[in-house]
Amino acid sequence: MLPVECEFESEVLSAVLQSRWPDRAAAQLRAHAETCAICSDVAAVAGVIDNARERTRGSATVPDSGRVWWLAQVRARREAARSAARPITATQLIAGAAAVGFSGACFGATSRWFQEALAGFSFSAAFAEHTVLAIGMAAVILVVPAAAWLALRRD
Amino acid sequence: MFREVTFTDVNRAAVDAQADLVMDEDTFRAFYERNARGVWAYLARVAGDRQTADDLLQETFYRFLRAAAEHDSEDHRRNSLYRIATNLARDARRRILTRPQAAVAGHDIETIANLTGTAETGADLDRAMARLKPRERAMLWLAYAEGASHREIAAILGLRPASLKLLLFRARRRLAVLLGRSEVRDVTR
Repeated sequence: MLPVECEFESEVLSAVLQSRWPDRAAAQLRAHAETCAICSDVAAVAGVIDNARERTRGSATVPDSGRVWWLAQVRARREAARSAARPITATQLIAGAAAVGFSGACFGATSRWFQEALAGFSFSAAFAEHTVLAIGMAAVILVVPAAAWLALRRD
Repeated sequence: MFREVTFTDVNRAAVDAQADLVMDEDTFRAFYERNARGVWAYLARVAGDRQTADDLLQETFYRFLRAAAEHDSEDHRRNSLYRIATNLARDARRRILTRPQAAVAGHDIETIANLTGTAETGADLDRAMARLKPRERAMLWLAYAEGASHREIAAILGLRPASLKLLLFRARRRLAVLLGRSEVRDVTR
């Protein structure tokens, strides 16, 4: 199996990063690196990247820290406002559904026509006659709140 | 006596609670000053161009703030920052790849050039790095520019520490060969 590590790798790396490589590094280490593919690669690559490090950092155009902080605050507040509005939308939806239900109940309790119509009505007979319709309505009652929840969640 | 609470009050309180960032301003600014240039250089190297690094730098710090994660040390905090930068650079690259006209290899070589100025060695490195995969660039930069340990690199890049040694070895070999500092010896991809 091809070796991927060398016990002297970290020493070579330290010498490179401390600008001791190759002139001021130990002669034994230099001799080892000449025969070790891993250490010679470490010396070559680490030296070039370390040299590029300061140049790359120096060419960076970074915005002022105060500006980044301020923009982060503004954005955080905007996102939080959007997220906080979600429960209120849900509350309004539930309140609307409750109002419709309450109106229906009032109508049922006060309408003589509705009471008379209900007197001769048999739920079991109606269910037996319109089973498919009843199951469909039950499904709608279950599906609509789930769909509303999913829509609000995506929002 | 009960105070009247309106929807607006509730909303404002919720906004205040959710908008709280994980750091105070002074801590953030000090952290930013210490790391912004390093993160920019990393993004420029991994993404392959300055414009992407400019675009992603603020997003990296914003996501770091919003993540509200607890860190037990400065190193841990810095690793989180680089992990976020890595993910953003990866997403940006995916977006470039899905663009119909993206000529990715050419794009990288053109735009990654001049990251290190006009010095001959710098230009050589730019060209050689452009020929590596983004993950290889990230590994090498973290290891030799940022001085990250194998464990830290694995955590930042989402790799297993055991596989990192081999991947880093291969990336280093490829770069050494591309730089002409090493003869071509079994550079396994």
